[in-house]
Amino acid sequence: MASTQQHVQFVQQLQSPNPVEVYSALRTIKNAIIGSTTKKSLYFKLEIIPHVTSLLALDDTDVQIRVQATAVISSLAHKDEEAARQLLDSGVVGSLINQIAPGADCVLTEASVRALNALLSYESIKLGVEKHVGLMVPYLLSIITEAKDTSRVYEMRAHARIELAILVLGKLCMTEARQYTIANTGVIDMLASLLPCGYPRLQIAALKALSALSYENMEICGALFLVKLKHKTYAEAILDLARNQDPDISLNACMCISNMSRMRVGDLLKDIQTVVVPALVKLLKTPGFSALQVVQSLGYLCHEDADIQSAAKNAGVISELIKILSVIEGQVDADFVDQEYNMRMVKGVFLTLGTIVSTNEECRRKAVEDQALVYLVRAMGHSDNGVKAAACLCTRYIIRSVSICRTHVPESGILAPLLVLLQDKTADVQVTASATLVNLLTDFSPLRADALKAGLVDILAKLLSSQNSTVCRNALWSIRNLLVGIDDDTRKEIIEKIKIETLFSLSSAPHEAFLQEHALGALRNVVVDSMLGINAVFDTMGNDRVIALLRQAMRSDAESAIKVHGLYLANNIAVRSQEHCGIIVGDEWLLRSIASHVTNTSSEVAIAALWCINSIASHRVPSQSQQESDGESVEEAGVCRYIAELSALDLQATLERMLDDPHLNLDVRDRVRSCLDYFPEAET
Amino acid sequence: DLNQLIMNYLIIEGYKDAAEKFSEESGLESSVDLGSIEERMQIRFAVQNGDIKSAIERVNDLNPDLLDTDPRLYFHLQQQHLIELIHEGRAEEALEFAQEELAPHGEEHPELLRELERTMALLAFDMAAVVKSPLAELLDFGHRQKTANELNAALLAAHSQPREAKLPALLQLLAWTQEQLDEKANYPRISNIVSGVLQEREK
Repeated sequence: MASTQQHVQFVQQLQSPNPVEVYSALRTIKNAIIGSTTKKSLYFKLEIIPHVTSLLALDDTDVQIRVQATAVISSLAHKDEEAARQLLDSGVVGSLINQIAPGADCVLTEASVRALNALLSYESIKLGVEKHVGLMVPYLLSIITEAKDTSRVYEMRAHARIELAILVLGKLCMTEARQYTIANTGVIDMLASLLPCGYPRLQIAALKALSALSYENMEICGALFLVKLKHKTYAEAILDLARNQDPDISLNACMCISNMSRMRVGDLLKDIQTVVVPALVKLLKTPGFSALQVVQSLGYLCHEDADIQSAAKNAGVISELIKILSVIEGQVDADFVDQEYNMRMVKGVFLTLGTIVSTNEECRRKAVEDQALVYLVRAMGHSDNGVKAAACLCTRYIIRSVSICRTHVPESGILAPLLVLLQDKTADVQVTASATLVNLLTDFSPLRADALKAGLVDILAKLLSSQNSTVCRNALWSIRNLLVGIDDDTRKEIIEKIKIETLFSLSSAPHEAFLQEHALGALRNVVVDSMLGINAVFDTMGNDRVIALLRQAMRSDAESAIKVHGLYLANNIAVRSQEHCGIIVGDEWLLRSIASHVTNTSSEVAIAALWCINSIASHRVPSQSQQESDGESVEEAGVCRYIAELSALDLQATLERMLDDPHLNLDVRDRVRSCLDYFPEAET
Repeated sequence: DLNQLIMNYLIIEGYKDAAEKFSEESGLESSVDLGSIEERMQIRFAVQNGDIKSAIERVNDLNPDLLDTDPRLYFHLQQQHLIELIHEGRAEEALEFAQEELAPHGEEHPELLRELERTMALLAFDMAAVVKSPLAELLDFGHRQKTANELNAALLAAHSQPREAKLPALLQLLAWTQEQLDEKANYPRISNIVSGVLQEREK
């Protein structure tokens, strides 16, 4: 075994004028570092990079020396992303690309694509080679076209070059622009033709490249769908490969189909149900195969697709995922176990499970039946923030179910760890924990009362001052939900601790439309059905500021969601308090704005405006004796108090015209009719 | 077909000359470049002879990625080298090698630590005690063979070839099938796979 001093000498030997010594040193270094992270680290410390890259940069360096130097680069790149970054910064990629140019020595070409493949294993490096893509792609294509000549007989070196070139091409597909650049070279047909070639490494490389090319790209997925191979379509060929015994082939084929499914290309649901999902379940149970990749693939496939989520449930995916959690839990204190891998696995399982249960009620029930909540609650106390955040995300989707919220959640013990996570130092954890909280505070949730007793309002008040706007948004949303159907004592506590001033200030948060929306939503619920709430708002902020806020919410350029909340805020004030309704009506601009929104193209906005008009119009003039005792001038009793102001806006005619519109939304039509009831009938 | 089965066996097990001859005589074209077998066999022989360092160098010349991307295989080769050092009585060198090479690898891959512990246990006992212990199998030629087979399978897979020959698996299947049928029926069976003769069972 060489000593450190000897390693130093090997590095110095790289500068020798004797090529034999240089070659020998390179070979020794190569054999020392391959497989050994410690040796790689040692050679980085000995600053090997400039020595090796300078050998490649010289035009007259011997081919054999180049091959060994390139192999050293390749092995160093395997160390980690930081190592690859240092290599990239040294400018070695340019030299490697020159070495794969057409006409270069075959062995050198193979070593160079190998090195490029190793370097491009990291996301940052894939993005960092942008300036080289233009030159790399045609060189890679010229290597790949060798496949036409070698398809019948296996020639080891040729196949290795082709396989590596395809892998590098796939790894370059990091951006949409690059996907199109590469797809436009016509490589798709070449890659597709390799699918039935029968050489697994080539098939896997082709599948990976096709998967990368078509990832999140509807156009390329569509182009692939139309590709015809000798006796079958592209989709048929891929489905055959999904059934392949080789797990790598099966997995990568499933990814290709998943891409098309995600882009809604082709009618693949039945094939996904009968071939892809069962293939992935089989891979989950395959001993020695990376279950983490399979779990992530399942999550990707099931994303936002209720039918596939259901197929996954029917294929037993949920139970398999829970089984994985159970096995990992049993290994927590075990020796000889890769705990780091297990942690990534747990995170992956929760994210995938969350995806599967995100829209499908049956899936949620199945997950709860399989004791998912037990694992989720335990995971909320995990030391790793990623696991905590993933557990919160999964929980959030499970508790979208009203019945689960009412039955299983209260006994799950979820509240205590969740409240702790709300106060976690890490933003990611707070974001997912606060998002989970939103669903637990609806008026039908039994945990609401317990949460209030546990000091939830104080926690929410702190979250409102978070620098993270998503945390703040989620806190506002929680407050909004909390205010629905609560008693005045709780409402008073919330108002005192959250502060109306804070809600007002967030309602006008610059450049943060979603904060404005949710703050307005919270204010809307502060005043709903409650004079306490209305008085608190007006007493704290004053009439002028309340009106200014309502005006701002109803500006023509405001987002629909903000307009809706603004209109319902006005409505909730108007319907409950005649005095404060009068303040709203007294602002001509505001009233005109409310009236103008009844014809808004968004039916949600229109309905909100119509409710508001309805509430304003609902205030009647009192009886004659009441008017006289109040000192008011006598008006016709029973008539809408604000009929004059509403008529001045030509509102009745507008509403009648709306009724004549046969395409009017039914809910809007109902509201229009209710509003018209307050107006006198037209004289015939 | 039977010829393909035999060719498959000869290629995977590395009988290059036999494969070439068989190809000539049977007229069966190999879908594999027979020249590639030679390098693989030299690597295999190196392991079987206990020359792990040479085997690793040859692997690195043939496929420099293999040992960087298969930590388990690399570990088993290093473990075999350690065993060879212990076998040769170079205990101090073995200890240094284990500390410098194997221990860091075990730290990165804790699932391999159990095997490392077993191997290190060889250093704790003298040879006379080891040969009577369950650790004796580590020093046996069989362990070299196991390592050689693992490396051979990895090289085959890296070059798109099956990891194992089909013929031994078929023979195993034959034996199992006959065992199952023996309980249920009387039929002409192959008792001797070398002769391959079908024999009626005695009633």
